[in-house]
Amino acid sequence: MHSIFTRVNNISAFLSSCTMALLACIALSSFLFTADPKGNLSISPVRVFPSKTNRYPRRKQEMGFVNFNISADLTPLFHWNTKQLFLYLEAEYQNTQGVNNTVVVWDRIVRRKEDAVINFAGKNKYAFREISSSFKKVPSSHYSLKYNVMPYVGVLTYGEAARTAEAVDFVWEEHV
Amino acid sequence: MSGNVLQEYLEGKIDFAGQKLVDDIVRIWLIAATAISFVAGFALQSLLVTFSILGLSTVALLVVVIPPWPMFNRHPVKWLPVAETKKSK
Repeated sequence: MHSIFTRVNNISAFLSSCTMALLACIALSSFLFTADPKGNLSISPVRVFPSKTNRYPRRKQEMGFVNFNISADLTPLFHWNTKQLFLYLEAEYQNTQGVNNTVVVWDRIVRRKEDAVINFAGKNKYAFREISSSFKKVPSSHYSLKYNVMPYVGVLTYGEAARTAEAVDFVWEEHV
Repeated sequence: MSGNVLQEYLEGKIDFAGQKLVDDIVRIWLIAATAISFVAGFALQSLLVTFSILGLSTVALLVVVIPPWPMFNRHPVKWLPVAETKKSK
């Protein structure tokens, strides 16, 4: 500590230790906030249309169209260490091989607390397709609205805000 | 000679008692600032508050501690007088 240089060196070294401790405390403090908000999700029967595939000229593929309503108040998830929320609507179904599939059909990024009251009615943003190109033999699917809390410092946490009570049926449409 | 003055000015030497004092000030100040910034930020639910308190208090600490203020030079080392020897005569 005898010269200016050693004083600067010492202070910056100790300051970095203090900052690390502070960041660790902030990351740990977000575990104190255990809000688990619930919302409502309603889905009308999913209509399935035959369509062309992008890649193969003669192959047909079925596309599902999901119309849904979401109402959820997610403001409790915003605390001092929340940077943003990633909200996504997931379709869950078992295919013919007995494999559980989950497909994200809609998502939204919520950056501000003021935008965290979600009232949304609309249809899927992303194509809802089965990898075997057909939803036949898939009787129905469940839907859930999930969120991912992204903090400034710390770990990502996941949660579920809403889930359909009963399975939603697929309805096959021949004509557009 | 002027180079020597500039060098001394930039080096900013303080005495041993001053070094102990600086060490104590830095440790207590930084730990207190960290604790206060966490509590204040948690109370006001704002990371902006946390890091502005930490940053501003660090700037204040640098002003207090970095320049060789007179209060860090109040105990100059007293050297023994040069012993008279036969050779030096």
